[in-house]
Amino acid sequence: MYPPKIGYVIPDSVTEALEFLEKHDDAKPLAGGHSLIPMLKLRLLRPSYLVEIRRLQELKYLRKDGAQYSIGALSTHYEISKANIPLLSETASKIGDPQVRNMGTIGGSISHLDPSADYPAALIALDAKVKVVGTKGERVVDFASFAKDMFTPDLNQGELVKEVLINDYSGYKYSYQKLERRAGDFAIVGVAVLLKVDGEEIKDARIGLTAVNTKAVRATEAENVLKDKICEKTIEVASDLAVKYANPTSDIRGTAEYKKKVTKVMTKRAILTALGKR
Amino acid sequence: MKVYEKDQKVKIHFKVNGQDVEYETEPRKLLVHALRELGFTGVHIGCDTSNCGACTVIMNGKSVKSCTVLAVEADGSEILTVEGLAKDGKLHPIQEAFWEKHALQCGYCTPGMIMEAYWLLKEKPDPTEEEIREGISGNLCRCTGYQNIVEAVKLASQKLRLGQTPYQRQ
Repeated sequence: MYPPKIGYVIPDSVTEALEFLEKHDDAKPLAGGHSLIPMLKLRLLRPSYLVEIRRLQELKYLRKDGAQYSIGALSTHYEISKANIPLLSETASKIGDPQVRNMGTIGGSISHLDPSADYPAALIALDAKVKVVGTKGERVVDFASFAKDMFTPDLNQGELVKEVLINDYSGYKYSYQKLERRAGDFAIVGVAVLLKVDGEEIKDARIGLTAVNTKAVRATEAENVLKDKICEKTIEVASDLAVKYANPTSDIRGTAEYKKKVTKVMTKRAILTALGKR
Repeated sequence: MKVYEKDQKVKIHFKVNGQDVEYETEPRKLLVHALRELGFTGVHIGCDTSNCGACTVIMNGKSVKSCTVLAVEADGSEILTVEGLAKDGKLHPIQEAFWEKHALQCGYCTPGMIMEAYWLLKEKPDPTEEEIREGISGNLCRCTGYQNIVEAVKLASQKLRLGQTPYQRQ
């Protein structure tokens, strides 16, 4: 309940924050605080300083430039859920509970990288890119490589996530299906599906899985099977194939076996919901 | 840039229920403790893992769990707690509805529940039952079984939409 003693830094700009973070290897940036503060309260972390970035306006924006969304790192789940971004907004609306969504940010979520987080399923399906900023400048990496492992983002000392970039998939059909024990919980299994449908045929398919690996994965074989005429059989086969990409662990949310089985169920549900057949 | 060391106190200013408050705090202090020390003891603590919502307050127009915000973060903010809802002893329509529908028993979750209902009804003035239940899913209650809370939020939404003036409790 009680955080350990910590210093506190209020920078006036992103540059000041980056310089401080570069000089203090165990300082932690504070965004929405809804992963960091709970960890401090359990004393799982003992940073020397918290660097308050959450009020830096430079990281608060959400805009569409042509066919690309630029989502500032400090955009909250609530703001993203209201932004009508295909797949991503629906995914944001299923994170935690309303109070959490009012504070939590996309930059914080992906810098934390809980393996059961919701965004990664969608971000990997959307081929999202992450813009990272450091004292020496900016770099852009694919989300898939940014997420190195559970709780392990591709961030060096003195770097922050600046924004998430995704293409506009308007015209695609999509669904994020989250299996949870109760509203507000993390996913037991989460499946994000994006489909480009032309008449009776699926031309492009993207399936992202979360909570069943150390990081989100694309179920590529399942995607390939779906790129065909829409029929019950290919949907069934694709849902079966998605299970190949699930390597879950047994924990309080269920056994590994159960999670594999529901990966199939949730994949099928996501495809059918995206197609409007459910 | 301001840098505070771990033993250094930070002076913060914020508004609670419309009143200016000055408060001196260690950086690590949680907003929920600060509010309670300042006398707003309607803000409750029901857990230590950010699940229960008994500490819910409105901060700059958004419902937040004050156990997951540091007091220093609230510097310059405007906070509304349950103590600030009634005006001159007249209950807010949400408070009235909770009373009329028997939506509380022990009353420990009630302040947080009412503040979340306040935010929910600002967002969705005419919510469905499903939207109400989702809307209060960050607020746990051990006593009521939620049914009467849902009824109360429905009633409150009617009262607010009809613009009924709060009446004095007899």
